[in-house]
Amino acid sequence: MKKILWASLVLASSLFATLKIDTTYATLGAVTQEVGGDLVEVHVLGSSKYDPHFIVPKPSLLSKLRRADLLIINGGGLEVGWLPPLIRSANNRKIQPGAEGFLDMSHFIKMIDKPTSVSRAFGDIHAQGNPHYVTDPHQVIVMAKVIAKKLAQIDPSHTQNYQHNLEKFLKKWEAYLKKFDLKMSQCTTKKVLQYHELYNYFLKRYGIVSVGNIEPLPGITPSSKHTLELIGTVKENGVKKILQDVYHDKKAAEFIAAKTGAKVVVVPHDVGSVKAADTLEDFYNTMAKSICN
Amino acid sequence: MYKKLALFSFFAAVSLMAESEIDTLKTQLQEQQTMTQLLLKKVNDLEKKDAQKDKETLEGAFLQNTSASFSQNAYLPDIALVLNMSAVGRDLSNTQYENFAIPGFIDATDAELPFNKDRGFNLNYAEVAMHSVVDPYFEVYTIFHLKRTEFEIGEAYVLTTSLPEGLRIKAGKFKSSFGRINEKHQHSWNFDEQPIIYKALFGPDAISDAGIQLQWVAPTDTYTMVGVEAMQGTNERSFGDIEENNLYTAYVKSSLDITDDLSILGGVSLAHGKTATKEQSDVYGVDLTLREQLGSYSALIWQSEFLQRNKGTGEKQSGLYTEVVYQYNKNYSGGVRYEKITKNQTDLSIYSGIDTDNLQKYTAMLQYKPFAFSRLRLEYSYDATKIIDGQRTDINTVILSLNIAAGAHGAHAY
Repeated sequence: MKKILWASLVLASSLFATLKIDTTYATLGAVTQEVGGDLVEVHVLGSSKYDPHFIVPKPSLLSKLRRADLLIINGGGLEVGWLPPLIRSANNRKIQPGAEGFLDMSHFIKMIDKPTSVSRAFGDIHAQGNPHYVTDPHQVIVMAKVIAKKLAQIDPSHTQNYQHNLEKFLKKWEAYLKKFDLKMSQCTTKKVLQYHELYNYFLKRYGIVSVGNIEPLPGITPSSKHTLELIGTVKENGVKKILQDVYHDKKAAEFIAAKTGAKVVVVPHDVGSVKAADTLEDFYNTMAKSICN
Repeated sequence: MYKKLALFSFFAAVSLMAESEIDTLKTQLQEQQTMTQLLLKKVNDLEKKDAQKDKETLEGAFLQNTSASFSQNAYLPDIALVLNMSAVGRDLSNTQYENFAIPGFIDATDAELPFNKDRGFNLNYAEVAMHSVVDPYFEVYTIFHLKRTEFEIGEAYVLTTSLPEGLRIKAGKFKSSFGRINEKHQHSWNFDEQPIIYKALFGPDAISDAGIQLQWVAPTDTYTMVGVEAMQGTNERSFGDIEENNLYTAYVKSSLDITDDLSILGGVSLAHGKTATKEQSDVYGVDLTLREQLGSYSALIWQSEFLQRNKGTGEKQSGLYTEVVYQYNKNYSGGVRYEKITKNQTDLSIYSGIDTDNLQKYTAMLQYKPFAFSRLRLEYSYDATKIIDGQRTDINTVILSLNIAAGAHGAHAY
């Protein structure tokens, strides 16, 4: 009797075995959870508190990668400084680049800001274009569709579930976007200064112009000369908002703000990077609020 | 009267409404017809355009240069170039320094000194590292060390990518994953000088040998990795019997996150081999690293390692280093290290009359990284482990080093 109970328990648990999915960042994780529903268990590798270029390759990430059925990366060079050695040492053949369980989302996104010439003399530029596409809420649709397709590919027996989840989510998201776009059309902020070209996809979508970056080159710490030049640019353009990410030092932004009367606002770059940005909707709402209000 | 009028106007209104409804339908129909015509025109135009395009590409293809038909550029390996150089100040002449002894471990004239040897300027090496995917089953890595007068294959190995159950095999010449820093190259050490216990037991290249390695990562929440290696055993400091492969290593490493920002990595290692005189030689290692992340670019790291060698002859020797590195921001970091030989039970008769106790070393460094790919480091060390010309001599050294890593993006270390 006991044996039967055990057998049925083992059988049941294997029937309800969830797919283990690792995503490198939190927005990808949130979209994956929407599409995968109860059938997936999502682990986000990189904390959204930190610079996505500089995730610390903690060995605990290896134990997550070791058991993953699918690894979804942002791509565009964002993970190149921390992920490859982890993939190499996690010893999981399912998620090797080129394998079915490895998904590079950037391949499905129309990347902007592709540099015409590439050299590290220009700082830490990405040859594939600006990798920070998750700041545009319209990209969520692309992400969701790609993830649904991938899930159906690695777990074909649940294709219908994923399709159903996708349709349900897209309906919800399109309704959300309609309202969001309307709200954004009333946004009075037209020009901003940012620390790094982190919000370009969002700004481009809603016709907001970025007049410059606080870092003189991508990945290079602010210099006094460049900061002084920016004070002129901010004044000339009548910029009212300086967009600061959660992980860089605010000093340069605050200095420019004090000299020009512009306001420094902390803008999330990923789901969960500030307290008020816990969900997908709240992430974009918080972005809009901090940039527009 | 009023009733009739009301009734009449009512009928009139209804019929008017009906009429206007027919009118709307008619206009709608008309609109749809124009729309269909417009769409049809569009489709025709597109078809024409496509045909035109096909023609153009076909013609374009003939004009294209075919000399690149066999181009293999896409398969070129990732290449990285590392340069390491230094300016050194030391309160000891070069000849004296070259002939140092560490009692019980390294006799005079027996030391290898590939890095920062001379007072004044040193070009330590240029390193060319290459990596490529071989096929769906293997990746290949090579690290070539180019020194002033020699070319050295630092490492050259293949790595499997498709073994099941968390297994991975490495084969070729490679640095053993024994201990914490054995597998790290000189330019990725936290200090420019090698820990004394590593230098004393293994020499500057540490355990680096031809051989084969099998590693297994457990499918558990807590990171646990077990590895075994069979190597030739060419390291003459502790091994050296190369009649056949005579060196075997085994290790377990485990790590867990105590909080989101505080993580611990620990390891236990064993290297079992034979010396050139066929004596058994075992080296045990214990290592522990704690890392507290204070921000994206700021961290506090405490790393320690203890090694002990037991020889078949009954000799027992051990030592440790412990270091703290504080990464202040993207650009600056600093650190201190303390080292000690803790046990030296061996034949010290050739040093009779010389104080061979309290072998210790203190090191401090300050590091500036203008960008992720370049690093300037100023290091000072007070070394009380050496015997020079038959006398216990403490050495003060200052090293200003410059390290450049260009080309393919290296990985940030844990």
